[in-house]
Amino acid sequence: MTIRLMDYEPIVGKQTIEELYLLAERLQGKRIKMVNSTSVGGGVAEILNRLIPLLNDIGIPTQWTVIKGGEDFFEVTKTIHNALHGVKVFFTPRMKDIFLEVSRENLRYVDLEQDIIIIHDPQPIVCIEGKDRSHAQWVWRCHIDVSHPNEEVWDFLKGYVEKYDVALFSSPRFSKKLAIPQFLFFPSIDPLSDKNRELAPEFIGQVLERYHIPQDKPLVTQISRFDRLKDPVGVIQAFRMARRYVDCRLVLAGGGASDDPEGEEVLDEVRAEAGGDPDIHIVVLPPTSSLEVNALQRASTLILQKSLREGFGLTVSEAMWKKKPVIGSAVGGIPAQIIPNLTGVLVHSIEGAAYQIRYLLSHPEIAGKLGDYGHEYVKEEFLVTRTLRRYLLLFHILQHPGERIIYFDQDAPPLPMDR
Amino acid sequence: MERNPFYFYTSSNLVELTGEKANTLEELTTLLKRCSGSAIFFHVFQSYRERHFTTEKYHSDFAQWISVSLHEESLAERLGALDVRDFTSIRTLREVMIQIIDDYLKASRQRGERSGETPFFFCQSMSVVMPTRYIAHTLEDFRNIISEIGIRSLHYHLIEARLRLGIQTNDFSYWLRTGLGKGKLAKKIETIDIYLHAMEKIRRMILQYVQEEMRSP
Repeated sequence: MTIRLMDYEPIVGKQTIEELYLLAERLQGKRIKMVNSTSVGGGVAEILNRLIPLLNDIGIPTQWTVIKGGEDFFEVTKTIHNALHGVKVFFTPRMKDIFLEVSRENLRYVDLEQDIIIIHDPQPIVCIEGKDRSHAQWVWRCHIDVSHPNEEVWDFLKGYVEKYDVALFSSPRFSKKLAIPQFLFFPSIDPLSDKNRELAPEFIGQVLERYHIPQDKPLVTQISRFDRLKDPVGVIQAFRMARRYVDCRLVLAGGGASDDPEGEEVLDEVRAEAGGDPDIHIVVLPPTSSLEVNALQRASTLILQKSLREGFGLTVSEAMWKKKPVIGSAVGGIPAQIIPNLTGVLVHSIEGAAYQIRYLLSHPEIAGKLGDYGHEYVKEEFLVTRTLRRYLLLFHILQHPGERIIYFDQDAPPLPMDR
Repeated sequence: MERNPFYFYTSSNLVELTGEKANTLEELTTLLKRCSGSAIFFHVFQSYRERHFTTEKYHSDFAQWISVSLHEESLAERLGALDVRDFTSIRTLREVMIQIIDDYLKASRQRGERSGETPFFFCQSMSVVMPTRYIAHTLEDFRNIISEIGIRSLHYHLIEARLRLGIQTNDFSYWLRTGLGKGKLAKKIETIDIYLHAMEKIRRMILQYVQEEMRSP
């Protein structure tokens, strides 16, 4: 069933929906194209799968193009991705050739007869070479933290980035100084998806039963794949420090690691650290476990995200949306979501996490307030409807270059399309 | 029916990243001097709107950063205590903020060189202002609309209007006074401390004042 914007009205309120329609009204007929490198899997595909139907639903025809490439192309793009995260890589001339050849081949088949073309992430970035044969305005949406990239790879990409009309980044921390305007686009969660929608208490109970998690004590949970950068061993240590003062259980739940040798290793380390402790529950979930993740989050008293490094860390917003108090590390996009002591708490160490577990389990009224404010903050900033609003605003801004305040008067008719 | 109805508008903004960041008070002052008026407007008047459900210690991002990241509490208090209702232009607000920080740094230059726990990222905003379908002709219409209009409309007419009009009032009070001759009610709305209360509380206060006005003989 196709989701429509009206479906969100019970969640975000009539006024928000009305304002979105108002913004869309004066953009009617504007043609948009989104380009990325995969239609399934990963956060970008997830958001486009929801956002594109919503744009079409409110009268803005939006197409989605997925670029194609062989194994060698995607090996190069993976290298680029790692390099942008600051990993030292060898970016050889041959790799550049493969990247450019495949990109240009894709470009031959992409319809550029649009008003605005939005390119997601570095994989399709070379599509900007088509700018000269198109009337469109071009937007580069970067979902990655490029604040500390491998300079050689960044210099190569920067030449392309600065040909775009604007760039969009997920956090001020993730951006670089550029010669083109940059806008802040927080990523978002979908409150109607399986991962976030309301669940019946019976279902939540069944999930806990399935994973043999008794409901006799407060549950402290971290949802993340078994990866050292998520510090699962540190989470167990923090839990043990806190449990000396407050009785509770720990749930560490995350994606399976069968195809990732390092993941298996980390899982072994986590199991060794847990040492068969009956209060520590290690749950390995298959990739299609959205409802289970949702249930575990909803059953929890506290949620941890004690990462050592993080992308944006949307699991924080997922937990906040469920009114759970969140203890998060001050890394990546987590500080953008957690306003300290208002929408959650930020910690910098295992000891800090342990102290906050003790504190929040001992002060349920304060934990409750964090959860309530966290929910409100997500409603304001991190829902898909907010992403839709940001795109609509961007389209208006692109249509009115040089204007800082775009003012539509009461009596003025809707403006005709510029193109 | 009144001749000059009140048209309710709504304003949404997109945050532009300037790429400029300050790690110390000295850097903050330098950037405060050269940043756009829009950046000051955003950090003092707009960004807190997204946290409208609550009230933080400081509504201004500058005071908040100086408190949380630099732990220079007395400076944060001085900036936080600025009553933005006193300012009808960004230029004077900018001058006063810079003066307060300069005075603070005179006592000890070292304070200006100390790095905060996190940088302050300068942003500015681009706004789209649009009329809504809500139009008030009478006080009763006004009350009904205020009870259901979005908080972005409230923010626009109460806060953004002040700088747009360059006068120490807001759109609601201006209309109530000049359009309906309700000077007493206009004054009451002007005295609401817009930074001390969450937006929903402000809505309730306006509604309460309007009800009182409607009940009075």
